[in-house]
Amino acid sequence: MSDALFPVVAITMGIMMLAAGIAALYVRRLLSAIIIVAFVSLSASVLFLLMDATDVAVTEAAVGAVVSTMIFLWGRGKIGGDR
Amino acid sequence: MLELYHWSIAGTALGLVLIGLWGVLTRRNIIRIALAFTLADTGVNLLLVWTGHIPDRTSPIHDSTTAALNATEAMVDPLPQALVLTSIVIGVAVAALFVVVAVLASRRTGSADIRRLRELRW
Amino acid sequence: MIRSIFGLILVLVLGAIMVAVVPDIEYSEEIHGVGLHYTSQGMQETGSANLVTAVIVAYRGLDTLGEVVVLFCASTSVVLILSLYPLSLKVSRPSFIVAQTSRLLPAPILLLGLYLIAHSHLSPGGGFPGGAVIASAFLLVMLGGTGVPGSSRNLAAVESLAGLSFGLLGFWGVMKLGQFLNNLVLGTGTPGSLVSAGLIPLISLVIGIKVASELSSVFAAFRYKGGH
Repeated sequence: MSDALFPVVAITMGIMMLAAGIAALYVRRLLSAIIIVAFVSLSASVLFLLMDATDVAVTEAAVGAVVSTMIFLWGRGKIGGDR
Repeated sequence: MLELYHWSIAGTALGLVLIGLWGVLTRRNIIRIALAFTLADTGVNLLLVWTGHIPDRTSPIHDSTTAALNATEAMVDPLPQALVLTSIVIGVAVAALFVVVAVLASRRTGSADIRRLRELRW
Repeated sequence: MIRSIFGLILVLVLGAIMVAVVPDIEYSEEIHGVGLHYTSQGMQETGSANLVTAVIVAYRGLDTLGEVVVLFCASTSVVLILSLYPLSLKVSRPSFIVAQTSRLLPAPILLLGLYLIAHSHLSPGGGFPGGAVIASAFLLVMLGGTGVPGSSRNLAAVESLAGLSFGLLGFWGVMKLGQFLNNLVLGTGTPGSLVSAGLIPLISLVIGIKVASELSSVFAAFRYKGGH
């Protein structure tokens, strides 16, 4: 990917992340909210990669996106109720 | 264009922090509050990495392409990245504890609604 | 309603403060302060090609020890709370897709985790992401229903052993060079080769094992700590 595309990717990602963040607060189903937050984490990992923070990108993808999503899914299953 | 790129990442980070704060303050479902907390966490991490970012430089890893260059003029600052690495791992540990305590608290009231937790009334 | 108005005011005030402050963070064209030393001298002093790993494991190794302790406390609290207040347990049978995936994927995932740990001083990765990847392979095995329940005692033993090794590696520096967690007890080697960078690969391995066993014991507690 050429460097000229970096601003386009960063701005698109930023808009999508902010929209997804608001959606995660107001979407009706809790399961959807959890998956949307996982999407925000993965997008953040892409932004870390654009900012040349490769170690942080790997860690965010492995820890922030996977492990915390599993924890939230467990919590949702235990509390019950999907609203 | 480079300026726009640089500031758009900061804008994303600030937006995520504010969205997370708004969610923590207004949402009622306790799992959703934990999710909003995670959003704010991600925003803070983005902002911290952003402070060490210098456009048009490589990541702080020496290899054959950076051997010929002066490292201090070819790489971004490794220090904020190291700090954020710590912050991400601790954030997940805090989220795990948050969710477990939330599940136990909701067992007592029978619902995930924080208005039912009378101990937390303000 | 009151809560919303109060929240809106708080968010707006904080947003105004941040918008006022963040542009003052210097749009700098060069590295300042201690980061300058890390970038210019980091590879010569530690032998690690990856400077972020050099900062985490060598320059700030003591902070990483503290971070590992924080993670240990959090995972211990989760397991302890779930042991004291057991929740109702319903383990459902995995579907066909999950069962088959849990046979195929854990081996490649484990390999990726080991790669991330072993090459922490050469390429992006390190003990924390590697450990998390290994723990996710463990989670997949557990979701597929082929895992052995009740192995948390072994996990605790592995975790304690890794924590002890971290301390002992630190005290090796005290014995040899008079400094806790000194990276140079093994010599730096040639930067860029697999066996180089002194203690960094060993400490990454220890951190990886510790993180993997901690997260695995959290997942095992989620899955198996139930009523009787």
